[in-house]
Amino acid sequence: MHKANWTTRTGQWFEERAHVSEVVEGLLHVDIPKNAQTFYLGGLALFFFAVQAITGILLSLYYRGSPEEAYDSILRIMNEVHFGWLIRSIHAWSANLMIVCVVLHMLRVFVQAAYKRSREATWVVGALLLVLTLGFGFTGYLLPWDQRAFWATTVGTEIAGSVPLIGPQALEFLRGGAEVTGITLTRFQGIHMLVLPLSLAGLLVVHLFLVHLHGLAVPPGTPPEKATQKMPFWPNYILDELIAWYIGLAILVILASMFPAGLEAAANPLNTPAHIKPEWYFLFLYQSLKLAPRTLVILGSFVGLSIVFLIPFIDKSPSREPKQRLGWLIAVVVVMTAIAGLTVWGAM
Amino acid sequence: MPDQPSQSSEPGRPTSRRTFIQALVGFSVVASLGGVLIPIIAYLWPSAQRTATKGERVTVGDEKDLPVGQGKVVSAGDKPVIVVHTAQAGVKAYSAVCTHLGCIVEWQPSRGFIQCPCHDGRFNPATGAVISGPPPQPLPPVQVSIENGKIYVEVG
Repeated sequence: MHKANWTTRTGQWFEERAHVSEVVEGLLHVDIPKNAQTFYLGGLALFFFAVQAITGILLSLYYRGSPEEAYDSILRIMNEVHFGWLIRSIHAWSANLMIVCVVLHMLRVFVQAAYKRSREATWVVGALLLVLTLGFGFTGYLLPWDQRAFWATTVGTEIAGSVPLIGPQALEFLRGGAEVTGITLTRFQGIHMLVLPLSLAGLLVVHLFLVHLHGLAVPPGTPPEKATQKMPFWPNYILDELIAWYIGLAILVILASMFPAGLEAAANPLNTPAHIKPEWYFLFLYQSLKLAPRTLVILGSFVGLSIVFLIPFIDKSPSREPKQRLGWLIAVVVVMTAIAGLTVWGAM
Repeated sequence: MPDQPSQSSEPGRPTSRRTFIQALVGFSVVASLGGVLIPIIAYLWPSAQRTATKGERVTVGDEKDLPVGQGKVVSAGDKPVIVVHTAQAGVKAYSAVCTHLGCIVEWQPSRGFIQCPCHDGRFNPATGAVISGPPPQPLPPVQVSIENGKIYVEVG
């Protein structure tokens, strides 16, 4: 029993100094509603973020952020570094899957009306996390410095430049000048590797703290005797969540192996290739810009995004029953169908 | 359910369900960790550099630019090499990495020896042997040849 004594003593040593068990007790040993339906989407988004943090750090060890070297460094990662293609593909695919999970997670919370009092702040912080996640996608897209990266960023920043009143300043601020150049690349690299990860990690802590504080919401329509049933967060829920992560990892590895991240020709500022398209999650905006005047699309996006942020403050009715929220539910179905339709249209 | 004692080590007796599942979970966890960690370690391991290959000869300058009593540090396939034109042994070349702690040695024309700037290790330019100071070993020699007035060294 010598080993047990040694580990116990080490545990006690840390305990006396850090009081870890109190924190662990408070975080893990809580009861959560047995009939909460999370579909593990928030946890999966967290998992895919963690995967991106790890693969992102690994990529940064070989990536060189200058116009002369960026493309070659990606080529080297893809062709010479052991498993470099896999790490980069997992990074790209987990970004896509994270966006899918974040959007589905928000839809789940919306449909269950889980943003209502007193979870409004959790929703707003969550919406901020969505914006940061999209920012990751936008800034990361430029870093390989190939034709698609260069021209998607040129077009994307051009859209920002059409924002009424502050457009020209926004464009120069984003690009670090009038054109997309090496300054834009280092700017996007700094934002992608430092500003966004730190902001997202900080907001994530706030989001998780709020989730912990208010607990999971029981879906509307749960019979009263079931609504009060509880189960331990640890190990019951954590174990289920880990199984979901395991499946997520499997999907990620399969996608990354079968459809590795591509690389086009090196960026050429003097030659715009045909059919430049943004990442799929910006396709609905891209298609809207083909159909409607630029200012209208931009103003529409701002209004739409503002509504997303303000939903808990607009929909103040305490009722969470679907029958009494039919208007909201129909609206979200219409909006999501429109976004999906524009995305498919834009992809064609 | 009471915890059943492990029976797997006793021959002829069936393995309990608990032991079997524990082994299965243990195997899965170890296999998954291996599956994640092995690519990461392989990724971090430096891959082959695109530089001159071992044994290849590279030119480091013209003979006329290196009169007797002169020496210089040059790069041969990313490796620093010190080339010295000595009166007694002709053109000699050594690895310029000090055998003490890896600093790059330099030629001292006025004093006639190779010196390490870090801890004052001194080497004989004709043989590479240690004259004084802390270096434990002589400077490793590098093959040098002169053809058509050009100095070539072999990448080690």
